[in-house]
Amino acid sequence: MGKRTALRSTFSVAPPALTISGLSVAVILLTLFTITVGPYPLSVGQILEALWRSATGLGDAPAGQIDTVLFQVRIPRVTAALLVGAALAAAGTVYQGLFRNPLVSPDILGVSTGAGLGAATGILLSLPVIAIQGLAFAGGLITVALVYSVATAVRGHEPTLVLVLAGVVLGALAGACISLVKILADPYDQLPAITFWLLGSLAGVNPKDVWSALPLVGLGLVPLVLLRWRMNLMALGDEEASALGVDPRRLRILFVAAATLITASVVAISGVIGWVGLVMPHIARLIVGPNFDRLLPTAMLLGAGYLLIVDTLARTMATTETPLGILTAFLGAPVFLWLLASGRRGW
Amino acid sequence: MGPIRFAAGFLALTVLAAAPAIAATVTDSAGRTVTVPDTISRVYAAGPPASVLLYVLAPDRLTGWPRAPHAYERPYLAAPYRDLPETGRLTGRGDTANLEVVLRNKPDLIFDFGSVRDTYISLAERVQKQTGIPYLLIDGRFENTPEALRLMGGVLGVDKRAETLASYVEDLFAELDRTLAKVPEDQRPRVYLARGPDGLETGLKGSINTEIIERAGGRNVADPGPDAAVRRGITQVSIEQVIVANPDTIITWDRNFYGQVWTNPVWRGIEAVKRKRVYLAPTAPFGWIDRPPSVNRIIGLKWLAGLFYPDRFSFDLPAETRKFYKLFYHVDLSDEELDRLIEWASGRP
Amino acid sequence: MTTLAAENLGFGYVRFPVGHSVDLRVEPGEVYCLLGPNGCGKTTLFKTLLGLIPRQDGRIELDGEDIGDLNRKTIAQRVAYVPQAHTAVFPYTVRDMVLMGRTVHRGVFSAPGAQDHERTAAALEQMGIGALADRDYTRISGGQRQLALIARALAQDAQLVVMDEPTASLDFGNQVLVLKQVRKLAASGLGIVLSTHNPDHALACATRVHLLADGTTQAAGPPGDVLTPEILSRTYGVPVAVEQLRDGHRVCVPVDLLD
Repeated sequence: MGKRTALRSTFSVAPPALTISGLSVAVILLTLFTITVGPYPLSVGQILEALWRSATGLGDAPAGQIDTVLFQVRIPRVTAALLVGAALAAAGTVYQGLFRNPLVSPDILGVSTGAGLGAATGILLSLPVIAIQGLAFAGGLITVALVYSVATAVRGHEPTLVLVLAGVVLGALAGACISLVKILADPYDQLPAITFWLLGSLAGVNPKDVWSALPLVGLGLVPLVLLRWRMNLMALGDEEASALGVDPRRLRILFVAAATLITASVVAISGVIGWVGLVMPHIARLIVGPNFDRLLPTAMLLGAGYLLIVDTLARTMATTETPLGILTAFLGAPVFLWLLASGRRGW
Repeated sequence: MGPIRFAAGFLALTVLAAAPAIAATVTDSAGRTVTVPDTISRVYAAGPPASVLLYVLAPDRLTGWPRAPHAYERPYLAAPYRDLPETGRLTGRGDTANLEVVLRNKPDLIFDFGSVRDTYISLAERVQKQTGIPYLLIDGRFENTPEALRLMGGVLGVDKRAETLASYVEDLFAELDRTLAKVPEDQRPRVYLARGPDGLETGLKGSINTEIIERAGGRNVADPGPDAAVRRGITQVSIEQVIVANPDTIITWDRNFYGQVWTNPVWRGIEAVKRKRVYLAPTAPFGWIDRPPSVNRIIGLKWLAGLFYPDRFSFDLPAETRKFYKLFYHVDLSDEELDRLIEWASGRP
Repeated sequence: MTTLAAENLGFGYVRFPVGHSVDLRVEPGEVYCLLGPNGCGKTTLFKTLLGLIPRQDGRIELDGEDIGDLNRKTIAQRVAYVPQAHTAVFPYTVRDMVLMGRTVHRGVFSAPGAQDHERTAAALEQMGIGALADRDYTRISGGQRQLALIARALAQDAQLVVMDEPTASLDFGNQVLVLKQVRKLAASGLGIVLSTHNPDHALACATRVHLLADGTTQAAGPPGDVLTPEILSRTYGVPVAVEQLRDGHRVCVPVDLLD
């Protein structure tokens, strides 16, 4: 038995429901732990007391900034890490199924690059943070919409292939525009800001960011959850899916739109973070198999947990912040290479 | 004198007159010996810090600005010079100068004001060889400002002016040192430089971006400790780290950040915001704190000293600003211009 | 009971016509066998019949309705497609692959239920691959994959099944198995359309044979009329003899290999 089947049979002794419950518990425990970690000294007792106070309204406000740090900084940041990780993993799972290729990341249609262009433009124009986020969101959506229009205009035999090519080309174009913006940007002022944004970070996340991204991600998840069974059929290719009674074109538009909405919403608040959407669906597939029914929640849990760990490292490893994109790359790339080396046919 | 001798003498004189002006040799800050013409009427400043140095010393020699001045900067630049064309930058981050354009401007001299490390030395050598135009490197460290002024002043032949400016700087340094000597370390203000629209980008202690804060006697809270592994430059921090550091003074030049820091719940509880000690640095025609890191920081130094130690420094912001701008930038500020410039430099009322 | 009929059908790709003037009609209980040399357009014809490729000329009718007027779900409820066995990109289990055939009976937002699982298990048993249910589809043999795809078509509960060269990747034993199944399914009332290279397979199970070559019909009708030595020799370009066994069953024999 190969490594992969050994891994699967270890977990498939337990039915997928058990695996998913187990992962959920793990993520919850991890969340509780990471809330207690950070440069500002907060003991578990203080945290519980603060939570009790806000829930019941009883008790005196403490000295220092406990409430601010806990409710305005740490809890939003931890929530954002979970949200961004889960969203990117979900989008990656969808794209890998849609394009029938396990080497696909959520940025294949250019949503992250488009968002980067939007943000870079916002920084170039010296706009406030909320406008930068808005431009990033819009940039991501517009880029994918363009890719889709181009792909439908060029009618070819293989709709997915045409889509990928259009995504590659327009993504490259957006990347070139980002470079142009970098040249126009003030090198003392704006250029570092653009660089940091493109490396990804949750350092500046506040509750408003979370509240704005959460419903958008939820909205995008609705069709994915409702249509989870039909996603499996998409993995067979357009012809077979049609013969089995679904309309692959319409499903594809819906899935791409949902995945894009999810990705653009979180990239707008976190910047560009790679490797999560590529590697997490893989690992999830190794554990529970490709059936989208179980794959989606598993990938999301893995993504949430992973990014939570990485973000906790990013904010505690050194005295200053380490950009998330760097950490996920350093951790993700070797894992990906190992996956490539150890599992061939049948991911 | 016979006719032949007269003719020979006349010939000699004309040859001499037609020959290029007698050259002089200069040793620049990198220790390079460079031959420069005696009369230098056109100078190409390789980057923004150099252009500022040239502008304050001898603006008539400027061939152009590395970046065209923004509309809001122009009123603060003297009349003919504010309209000079954009000529790009030759060094540092983001080279945009085309050597042919540089040559077309026919400068007598190229110089850069900033780092004198090997990379810049090799760049200088390369350009000098390629274009045949002498290229000088001047050390841009803050401490070196008076020396830099004097050195360039000598090269450009404006020694008297250079001396005036250099003395201004030296007097300021001396006054600062005298005052700071009386202030123990733990009584110095703890300062955070907030960069970017969210204020979470800052300069680490010892970086070129914040050296002015440290020179003015502030303690940069972005201090990674004696950890040598950390590079000294710009970095990103989390708001939690700022809350932990709890600075009593915040300096910024980002208007967006400044506008929202007073009401933003995560910043509100920080001591600097509570005590209303958040200051917006002016940025016209050049930044007072940075942007670029050059002679423009002198007024910023004076300003910061006044902010950090109001009891020890008598600093009449409007009057001093006017004086500085007249002396260094060759402009007379109208009341309206002055007000606009220092609008939030004393903190939001 | 579903009937599929094509009239004067022209089929192919946008700038690349493959065939023309094809008439055929499949009734319930029939095994309609499409025979022809490589490249004659069998697969293209099938995809056109199923509505997966737009037709270039003529008409296709499913139960009397033009197939262009029907949506995918309606077509899938009446016609099931068994493609040639392929490798899949992702390692679905055999059970999941067959379960996908039940999609057409579910609402848009629902996942398979108990009844679907029962039907799937029954289909797997019927094809004799019940033991493979939890194996990865990508890790079984080509023949077993073909059986799984047929099971999927069965699970779809359609009245008509279109099979594209179902015996192509099978060993001798499995070929016999599939052909027997085909006969049984037709006997139970389904209509089957299948394509094959091998005239013996047509002789074994077809109720009607349609010979396709160069994109057009060479001959169509009961096996006895179509699978004659003359027509076969002309179609395949090699001399073919048709011999009769003692029990009346006929087989094709390539003359050149006889001595």
